Amino acid sequence: METPTNMTIKGILGILMASIDEDKKRRLISLGMGDPTAFSCFTTTDIAQDAVVQTLQSRKFNGYSPTVGLPQTRKAISEYLSTSLPYKLSSDDVYITAGCTQAIEVAISILARPNANILVPKPGFPIYELCAAFRNVEIRHFNLLPDRGWEVDLDSVDALIDHNTVGIVIINPGNPCGNVYSYQHLKKIAETAKRHKILIVADEVYGHLAFGDNPFVPMGVFGSMVPVLTLGSLSKRWIVPGWRLGWFVTSDPKGIFKNTKNIERLKKYFDICGGPATFIQAAVPCILENTEEVFFTRTLGILKQSSDLCFKKIKEIPCLTCPQKPQGAMSVMVKLNVSLLKDISDDVEFCFKLAKEESVILLPGLTVGLKNWVRITFAAEPSSLEEALDRVKSFSERHSHQQKVHIELS
Amino acid sequence: MGESMEKQEWGFKENHELHAAAAFTIRHILQAIIENIDEPQTGKSVIHLGHGDPSAFPLFRTPTVVEDALIASIRSAHFNCYPPGVGIAPARSAVAKYLSRDLPNKLTTDDVFLTAGANHAIEIILTVLARPGANILFPRPNYPIYEARARFSPLEVRHYDLIPDKGWEVDLDGVKALANDKTVAIVLINPGNPCGNVFTFEHMKKIAETARQLGILVIADEVYAHQVFGEKPFIPMGVFGDIAPVVTLGSLSKRWVVPGWRFGWIAITDPIGILQQTGIVDSLTSCLAITADPPTVIQGAVPSIIENTSDSFFSNINKLLKEAADILYEGLKEIPLVACPHKPEGSMFAMVKLNIPGFDDVVDDTDFCMKLAKEESLIVFPGDAAGLKNWVRVSFAAEPEVLKDAIRRMKAFCLRHAKHY
Repeated sequence: METPTNMTIKGILGILMASIDEDKKRRLISLGMGDPTAFSCFTTTDIAQDAVVQTLQSRKFNGYSPTVGLPQTRKAISEYLSTSLPYKLSSDDVYITAGCTQAIEVAISILARPNANILVPKPGFPIYELCAAFRNVEIRHFNLLPDRGWEVDLDSVDALIDHNTVGIVIINPGNPCGNVYSYQHLKKIAETAKRHKILIVADEVYGHLAFGDNPFVPMGVFGSMVPVLTLGSLSKRWIVPGWRLGWFVTSDPKGIFKNTKNIERLKKYFDICGGPATFIQAAVPCILENTEEVFFTRTLGILKQSSDLCFKKIKEIPCLTCPQKPQGAMSVMVKLNVSLLKDISDDVEFCFKLAKEESVILLPGLTVGLKNWVRITFAAEPSSLEEALDRVKSFSERHSHQQKVHIELS
Repeated sequence: MGESMEKQEWGFKENHELHAAAAFTIRHILQAIIENIDEPQTGKSVIHLGHGDPSAFPLFRTPTVVEDALIASIRSAHFNCYPPGVGIAPARSAVAKYLSRDLPNKLTTDDVFLTAGANHAIEIILTVLARPGANILFPRPNYPIYEARARFSPLEVRHYDLIPDKGWEVDLDGVKALANDKTVAIVLINPGNPCGNVFTFEHMKKIAETARQLGILVIADEVYAHQVFGEKPFIPMGVFGDIAPVVTLGSLSKRWVVPGWRFGWIAITDPIGILQQTGIVDSLTSCLAITADPPTVIQGAVPSIIENTSDSFFSNINKLLKEAADILYEGLKEIPLVACPHKPEGSMFAMVKLNIPGFDDVVDDTDFCMKLAKEESLIVFPGDAAGLKNWVRVSFAAEPEVLKDAIRRMKAFCLRHAKHY
């Protein structure tokens, strides 16, 4: 089965959905996308909803906003991010984007120049590849090491960088792997970037969604060592990906990147792009200030519970191996052992047949850069997650070489 | 400490293309003009006629039923999810039906792609058409975002004239002379920005036939669709979609007076399917995957917004615009050194010619705008950025008293700066 190389996650999932057998009475369970809004246990806080209704009803925000974003929004986000940093960001460091996806597009576009290359992780997030292709920026993949908690293979990074390298993308908390890097590891990455004089694009769309041993440390903490472009959004932490409210932030206290020329370019780029809705921007200060800790704790609790459940259920499925228990974000990478399966040759075939036979959607690892792996989004209602993984188990038993049922030895 | 920070050592450098591209965007220019305002000195409140955004004026408020639809969408919590890059089906379908009301060939859901406002639609269509060696035909004068966007792409831009003495009609002979086998498209803005003109049926048919002869597609920027108040009705270019393929850009922003909501579309009228065959539709989809989206909550409200907005709201807005255009046009007649050759009959703008030689110390349109802002706290937009030097673009989307005040201030300015013999 051929998968086009420029496929997006939504694209692949669309094709998988289309192959669902609608005659089957079983309900569809999709663990394919990092969008937990499909599950009723994941809802945003009323604070956020009320804030947006209020700004809409005020009728003050139906007009154009400045293209870099409303000043109060920029200020609120700079303060929010600064609480986790050893220095203060200014509002001028913050640019409001239509979701983190647009922040990625801005980052790639602003760094693009003839012959430029950018380092992205493998496995990673395919929007980087797609944006780079549009901007004629060469992509170079560095490895994440499954046996070391998906840490960055810094040796591979050293080997890839040349004088045309403009930056390195670090996704932490990790998508697709569910890793959360330690302070020490982030520091090593920063030191490597500094040594090679390249900046870091820190994709922190899952910022603060860490429920394991390592706390979330923003890469901006090392902003004095190496310039960091921090990307983030409301989408994951507030469970509102549909609101399209993100940010592109220059975490660069020494001003290495944010000189006058680069800032001018950035502002002018925003002048020619589509952007986020004004009234949603206007609600951000209230959302950031008033969301209660209990909302965040609750979300983390559900994520921890479901990630534990996911990890446990995967252990029961012989053809799937999870090298690293998820520590954060919303998904986990799981290795597929095709040699144990009698009529399935790769991850794509596995996912298509699974969709058709069991009405369960998982994402083929090829989409995120690792063939014969599978990405499972555990940010789901625990009961749905359990049912889905039970179906995966019976599917894999049905397709295994041995017809024996796996007996768990305790 | 003491680290050397020479820029050339770091692995990122300027993207010169980007720098050149966005040098003349509306926001950039207006920002420079606004910075010139000295409110304490003039003692006057700012009158901003530099952009088409009347949402701040109570008379132009969007109807309650529209806000209610959006509130319902938000509160339902059904639209907090990611939208597909092309938009959610109910919204695409609602826009398709809405546009089809005025088209002989009905649009399907798949013909409509949702964007974050019409500026985003421009971003997308120019991105997908761009390839090295290709050229595109833009009007002069033009809406400046096209220029900025095109510069940030391999597209070569060629300008055809809109003729002021012929109601800003397209110079079709000029178009034919400019086009070659590398031309991909012609952009038409109707109702016109910046000129405030409306094309006739016959003229649009001729344009479509010309496009067909040249083998190019028509990009019909219809952001001001239906906002006509003169003698000419609004006719969508899609009506001629069987003559040449038409890509229509539109949005809620102007007709519903909610530019801040950022909801627009690209609609394709291409019965022969040329755009599908040449891979343009696939490119559109890819491009939409990596760029902005209109919020899903807004998409969720669109069917209801389109269905429940009364015609009386639209006709009332057009009535306000007509009255405003009259005030502006008649008022300009009383002002020395400025002339509006064609009374606006649509959109929210008029192009006004400056008699620079008649001024004592105003050297060009930019100087005019800067000084006007400084001395009178009145903002208008320099025509040079739209492609016509020594003209200015004036918005009339404002309440009557504000416009009358603007006229008074401009008159005082012109009298003050006129050469005295």
